[in-house]
Amino acid sequence: MNVTQLFPEPPIPPSTPADRVHLAALAGLELMTTPRLVALQSGRTPEEAYAVATGREAPSGAIAALFEQTRGLRERWAASAERNRPDDVAERCANLDVQIVAPGDHGFPPQLVDDPRRPAVLFVQGDIGALDARRVGIVGTRNPTRRGALTAEHFGQELAEAGVVVVSGLALGIDGAAHLGALKSPGSRPVAVVANGHDQPYPKRHGHLWRQVAERGAVISEWPPGVAPDPFRFPQRNRILAALSEIVLVVESRERGGSLITAREAAERGIDVFAVPGPIDQRSSLGTNRLLADGAAPAFDVECLLVAIGLDHRRAGRERVDTRRIPDADGTVVLDLMRERPGSIESIAQETGWALGRTAKALVTLERDGWLVEVGGWYESLEPIGGSRRDER
Amino acid sequence: MFASVPSAVLFGAQGHPVSVEVHVGKGLPGFHVVGLPDESVRESRDRVRAAVMSSGASWPDIKITVNLAPSRQRKSGSGLDLAIAVGVLAASEQIPIESIERMGFVGELGLDGSIRSVPGVAPMAGVLSVDDLVVPAGNAHEAAIVADGRVRPCRHLRELMAVCNESAPWPDHDVCPDDAVPTFEPDLSDVIGQPMARRALEIAAAGGHHCLFVGPPGAGKTMLAARLPGLLPPLDRDEALAVTMIHSAAGVALPPDGLVVRPPFRAPHHTSSQVAMVGGGSTSLRPGEISISHCGVLFMDELPEFAPRVMDTIRQPLEEGEVSVSRAALHVTIPSRFQLVAAMNPCPCGDGNEPGGCECGDARLRKYVGRVSGPLLDRFDLRVKVDRPDVAQLIDNRPGESSAVVRLRVAAARRRALERQGVLNNRLAARDLDRFAPLEPAALDCLRNEMERGRLSARGYHRLRRVARTIGDLRPEGAEVLDEETIALALGMRVRIRPPHTIERAA
Repeated sequence: MNVTQLFPEPPIPPSTPADRVHLAALAGLELMTTPRLVALQSGRTPEEAYAVATGREAPSGAIAALFEQTRGLRERWAASAERNRPDDVAERCANLDVQIVAPGDHGFPPQLVDDPRRPAVLFVQGDIGALDARRVGIVGTRNPTRRGALTAEHFGQELAEAGVVVVSGLALGIDGAAHLGALKSPGSRPVAVVANGHDQPYPKRHGHLWRQVAERGAVISEWPPGVAPDPFRFPQRNRILAALSEIVLVVESRERGGSLITAREAAERGIDVFAVPGPIDQRSSLGTNRLLADGAAPAFDVECLLVAIGLDHRRAGRERVDTRRIPDADGTVVLDLMRERPGSIESIAQETGWALGRTAKALVTLERDGWLVEVGGWYESLEPIGGSRRDER
Repeated sequence: MFASVPSAVLFGAQGHPVSVEVHVGKGLPGFHVVGLPDESVRESRDRVRAAVMSSGASWPDIKITVNLAPSRQRKSGSGLDLAIAVGVLAASEQIPIESIERMGFVGELGLDGSIRSVPGVAPMAGVLSVDDLVVPAGNAHEAAIVADGRVRPCRHLRELMAVCNESAPWPDHDVCPDDAVPTFEPDLSDVIGQPMARRALEIAAAGGHHCLFVGPPGAGKTMLAARLPGLLPPLDRDEALAVTMIHSAAGVALPPDGLVVRPPFRAPHHTSSQVAMVGGGSTSLRPGEISISHCGVLFMDELPEFAPRVMDTIRQPLEEGEVSVSRAALHVTIPSRFQLVAAMNPCPCGDGNEPGGCECGDARLRKYVGRVSGPLLDRFDLRVKVDRPDVAQLIDNRPGESSAVVRLRVAAARRRALERQGVLNNRLAARDLDRFAPLEPAALDCLRNEMERGRLSARGYHRLRRVARTIGDLRPEGAEVLDEETIALALGMRVRIRPPHTIERAA
């Protein structure tokens, strides 16, 4: 039996407007981390904590030790307090339509309330109520194969169509593709967990995606506007992403990477991790294959995920029409070869023993009909892993 | 006394006759050169004086005036040295003035009186109508190709004076200079595997198409490009003359018999300046690399590393086959109909070959590729992916087809094109495409589709059809109407260099 259940913590009281404003200002201080925020708040109201952090009140105990331990922290906080006066931060939040949510508040996600590393405050653009639905996290590498990105997009869309909220990080690559897919489904409410303030969408290239997610669902951050996407904030972000998901799907990942941190955070919280299997020698599948070896569940198609969260649409009988022209004999041979890995005219000609002209015709026809995509002479299959639409018919 | 001696100077790749007038007369001792000489010509005063004195003649210590006519044109280069010296000798009556009648002189003098080679003797010899042309021994081979009269190679001013004073016959110098380079063309059989790249090279050779190789370092892009000239037929007489003129003017080493008969191959480094590429310079307007590769191959390795301005300046000559260089005082047009072959890595790290196989994200990739402007990329008829050869093939080391075999097919294809339309396929006019390169309906559908999807610009469409025409011509039996396979191969040899902005999906 869990100790916390024997001695339940007293319920946290809801925050007052002054609490929220001071929390936001505290979180906006330079070098602020969640443990420091928690230490500052222990036994103090946010207002008192702000006074201690900015040096207007003498620190005691843990905070004095912290100042002792980290040289320059006291000065940095005092200096950045000049730029982060509570009223300024509150105004910035208001201008960006960012709500400040503290753990005792009604909107604070219940999944995070009991989290061992509970955020001290959350900043939300959009409607945090989007989280009151079934939620699947989709993460992966920033450098996916085109096909991997397509797989993420496909999963995102299919999940969204099944009414599931796609939770992801808005990063380049898999994350963005998953959200792109989710947005394709009308009425979907995707949720993004990001590592910086809402004033400057990061990465810049996903600014549009960011705004769309905020408009339809929610963009959640642990940090107020003005906080930059420092590298150390991303692994922290991943724990929130994992905690907010019922299951986490890793689409493509290298042997090391942020998506594996998310998977670990999920596993620590007892959240099931799914991984899309990939070719064993493809770099962007090394991490996901390793996850599978370590006990993650394989995700062959969207049904695997839906069944895992108790939604089974297999008998629902939705209609999908593939308008693409059915490949001819040569095309079918080539498409089968391409299922496993990308190829070029040269490599396909070598595998089939056909002349270059015949091979080129087969590949160009498949590309034109939307079965393949070509970049730099490499042709990749556009069949998402797990899509297998061609086999159904 | 007065003497007038024919000589010539160089502008671009053209010689211009100059008559060197020397007057030796009363007055305070002095030596003046007038008639718009530039610094290099003015320096020749000191060389000429020393050379004359070193050759056993005496320097007239009276007033010497040299006029370079026509005097409105700027003159540069050291090639007038010899003419000035001869003029001084004749005007001061140290050699009989009749002895140099109808003779022309080109050459630089050393302080010891030796006659040294200068660039551009071939074009200069072409504009001098004289009976005897005296040139440095090192330039005799090129002068002989174009000169109207006899070419008299000389090594020393003393030899020349002896001939003029009739105390010795014309010296009989070996006309092959020491720095002449025999042409060496590497063979295609050294290339292992690479069926696509080989095919592309053959098509490029047969149709004169511009070609871009994209592949990781060590894939053999440079090796392939260097083998293209070996697949081309020898230059015809007119081309050979034009190329020789340009090479002579640019100071490029000529083959032993002086005449450039094989298509040149130039591979300027990617740090080359704009002037080095298109030609220029203050007064003489030296031909640039694009002109030196006239009728041959210009190879630009590491294309994105070239300065953007350099890449853009070659676009216009690429279309027009000649380059016009203008300076304040003069303007020259130099032929530069070259075949462009370029090579680049697929991404900055170079290893980004297989999709998802490298560190470079789309943004880095786009930045790298973006250095090559779209219009320039569009001008490559062939854009081919080159892979590192298979390990098995490399170890197996079975030689591929040799250049000689491919050259036969290329020659046959070029003959077909010339018999049909009088020009190579790359110069086939857009309005003649339907007549000379008709398509089967399926092939036309395929092309229309590519255009509708925005994969092919109007220029790309025409270029693609020209490439398809060449692929047809390369078939052993030829092909009147081009089928879908031909078009597909041409399309397959036009790979997409930039990653698409969004994941597109036709469904």
